[in-house]
Amino acid sequence: MPKATRGVLIECDPSIKALIVNIDSSQHNIILDELDDTHLMIHPSMVEVVKQKLNKMLAENTYNPNEEAAKATGK
Amino acid sequence: MLRSKRDASKRRFDDVNLDSDSFSDSNDSYSDDETYEKVPQTRLKIKMKEQDPGDATSGLDTKVHSTYSEIPDDYVPDSVSNIFGKHDFSYLKLKPDHAARPLWINPEDGRIILESFSPLAEQAQDFLVTIAEPISRPSHIHEYRITTYSLYAAVSVGLETSDIISVLNRLSKVPVPKSIINFIHSCTKSYGKVKLVLKHNRYFVESSQADVLQMLLKDPVIGALRLEASEQSTTGSGLVTESAPKMGDLKIPGTEKPKEEEGKDGERDGEKKADEDAEDIFSHVVGIENDDDDDLDAVHSFEIAPDSVETVKKRCQEIDYPVLEEYDFRNDHGNPDLDIDLKSSTQIRPYQEKSLSKMFGNGRARSGIIVLPCGAGKTLVGITAACTIRKSVIVLCTSSVSVMQWRQQFLQWCTIQPENVAVFTSESKEKFSGDAGLVVSTYSMVANTRNRSHDSQKMMDFLQSREWGFIILDEVHVVPAAMFRKVVTNIAAHAKLGLTATLVREDDKIDDLNFLIGPKLYEANWMDLAQKGHIANVQCAEVWCPMTSEFYQEYLKENARKRMLLYIMNPSKFQAAQFLINYHEKRGDKIIVFSDNVHALKAYALKLGKFFIFGGTPQQERMKILKNFQYNDQVNTIFLSKVGDTSIDLPEATCLIQISSHYGSRRQEAQRLGRILRAKRRNDEGFNAFFYSLVSKDTQEMYYSTKRQAFLVDQGYAFKVITHLHGMENLPDLAYASARERRELLQEVLLQNEDAATLEEGDNADSFVGRGSSNKRGSAKRTTGSLASLAGGEDMAYIETNKNRNKDLRKPSKQSAFVKKLYSGKR
Repeated sequence: MPKATRGVLIECDPSIKALIVNIDSSQHNIILDELDDTHLMIHPSMVEVVKQKLNKMLAENTYNPNEEAAKATGK
Repeated sequence: MLRSKRDASKRRFDDVNLDSDSFSDSNDSYSDDETYEKVPQTRLKIKMKEQDPGDATSGLDTKVHSTYSEIPDDYVPDSVSNIFGKHDFSYLKLKPDHAARPLWINPEDGRIILESFSPLAEQAQDFLVTIAEPISRPSHIHEYRITTYSLYAAVSVGLETSDIISVLNRLSKVPVPKSIINFIHSCTKSYGKVKLVLKHNRYFVESSQADVLQMLLKDPVIGALRLEASEQSTTGSGLVTESAPKMGDLKIPGTEKPKEEEGKDGERDGEKKADEDAEDIFSHVVGIENDDDDDLDAVHSFEIAPDSVETVKKRCQEIDYPVLEEYDFRNDHGNPDLDIDLKSSTQIRPYQEKSLSKMFGNGRARSGIIVLPCGAGKTLVGITAACTIRKSVIVLCTSSVSVMQWRQQFLQWCTIQPENVAVFTSESKEKFSGDAGLVVSTYSMVANTRNRSHDSQKMMDFLQSREWGFIILDEVHVVPAAMFRKVVTNIAAHAKLGLTATLVREDDKIDDLNFLIGPKLYEANWMDLAQKGHIANVQCAEVWCPMTSEFYQEYLKENARKRMLLYIMNPSKFQAAQFLINYHEKRGDKIIVFSDNVHALKAYALKLGKFFIFGGTPQQERMKILKNFQYNDQVNTIFLSKVGDTSIDLPEATCLIQISSHYGSRRQEAQRLGRILRAKRRNDEGFNAFFYSLVSKDTQEMYYSTKRQAFLVDQGYAFKVITHLHGMENLPDLAYASARERRELLQEVLLQNEDAATLEEGDNADSFVGRGSSNKRGSAKRTTGSLASLAGGEDMAYIETNKNRNKDLRKPSKQSAFVKKLYSGKR
């Protein structure tokens, strides 16, 4: 008998998909199904968590001169 | 008279109310508002009367109040003030004619914002470069900052405190904030008031203000060191008074008569009447050479013994009167003159002349740093300065390649005889024949203290035993402070000139240069030079290459070093590089591809069938490749590792592609850009050079890339972001087009050990000085593996490699096949 699960469809770049897979790899409670390179089905309750974690991870790769200056003066 | 005038101006600033009348000056000629003009003038007169003319020291003793309340009592915050919080500056009232004034000054950190589209901007820029440090200069709004060092530099080129403040006031949209006035006062009060001058080989402490010298003489340390003046007329206080030096008849070779030049300048930018008026206003402040203030004529000095110079300098520093060093080379008869002059065919450019006029402003040579972009003729500035001083010169640069370049440039531009030019490197240790001459060497040769060969020790003794008129320090930003101290103490030179393109370091050692060499005398505006065609116009672009999903998954798992290898070897990046090379080769561009990572360099070059040079490439092969790149139209692309960052001069190159770089080094980015700034074809109609930086998306590289660009963005360059290269998919034989090839590449990258990810320890400016001249040989490599794999018993049976095109260039050798096999086995 078919079973239905509620999910949220995510469309993203392959690299973002890899990031989400990476987030999922620790607990396996986010991804319901990997559809293809750019599409994922994830658990509806985890959308916010994923968003938050993605923002954090992507911020690491962004250079912010103001932050740098603040650090320098903080010393 | 002068003193009372100066005092008056100081008084005035101390008594200033922050009313609208406080920002006027009697010279303020471009204010249209007559009535508004008159009020302050009367105020000024009253102030001057109030002052006791006999009170000579009052100006100096004026206390600087550090904590003023900036906000006037009658200030009422408006409804939006609270949004801005601490950054609400609406209490600074705009002057009625603010639209005509191009500046705004931040009272808190001394930042100056300049509207560079204002008709007055050009003059304002000249002035601001002198008193403040350029922070950012894009096309419309410039940002400067007043710092202690910049004021120090301003004073050292002869500006007076009151001049600085009054010009700022004239240019500013709001009255100059009190905090800034105080800051300027406190910095300029002591800086540059005392000069150490070498005349007739005797050291004099000199100042235009007698009371400062009196103060110094009362100091127990300095007073004791004074030599009694003998033959010259001494005043009652024991000071020697004579007329101040002037630019006078000193002519910087290669420049036309200063007066004429100025007239032309005036015509050029003074097309509008208003501009000419402005020129007048500025000429007495900005144009140091026609400083016609009669009051400045008298200078006072006392003599000190040469061996006590160090003590006096140190003591002066301690009591906050740092001495400026100047070299009165025209009156130096102790050191023999060097027969050197610019060839008559040599033309120096206006900005080079400007920088030199800052150095020789009053007919003496000042020590300091001149900042010009790569390819803008730093060498010629150095040579012209040497030709002006005409004493023995020593040039220090960073590598033996640039040593040869300097020597060759000297012979090319000026009349110095080849026998008077000596080169001191690990290979050659010559001395010049005459009494005076030129020595070109490297920092490491001079600063090295251990294991000198007999020859170089002899040469060193020769260098140390002499007195040098002038020392040129090339690429001065790379040299660590400790090494500089050693160089500066080892070699007795009267004037020091530092040359650099990028006065930035990722550490904060740059400040040391202010004291070791001198202040920054001049900094050119890159955009300005590009507009005038002195350096090439460059289109900068950052190309975002998406990571393929397999690569990105591995990237997330790996440690930092391996990650780097992954994002450099990203197949999309590969494709982008291939596409760009293809595209630009078709346009007829000569392309240099930079990669810091040698593993990637080789992989890219082999895959794409191009020539490459890295640290391990033998000298002969390098020369051959470079020659081919210059003259052979079959060779349009070369791959360079870090060794190409600075010393390789290739005016043919018109396009740069950067695939990997030294983390967030702003200087490397600028130096690399410098490779194409001197492009031969820069004056062709509509010519653009191209600078691409390939970046793997969503990786650390993005962070570094933005950081690296900061310097160039501050110079006014704009980076375009290209997210997709149009038509890349349709390129015939695109590398790694199929998923299988990409997986193979990934496997190969993953198999590399971490060593492959390290950047080449090549001629990286951060590390190479002090490394000495030792040529690093590849050290033994240790890897773990099974005995079977060592014996070839593992499953790899066949491997296909791309042919190294470098080998095509070699002449067919006559060696037997067997020897050849041995040779290639070794590689």
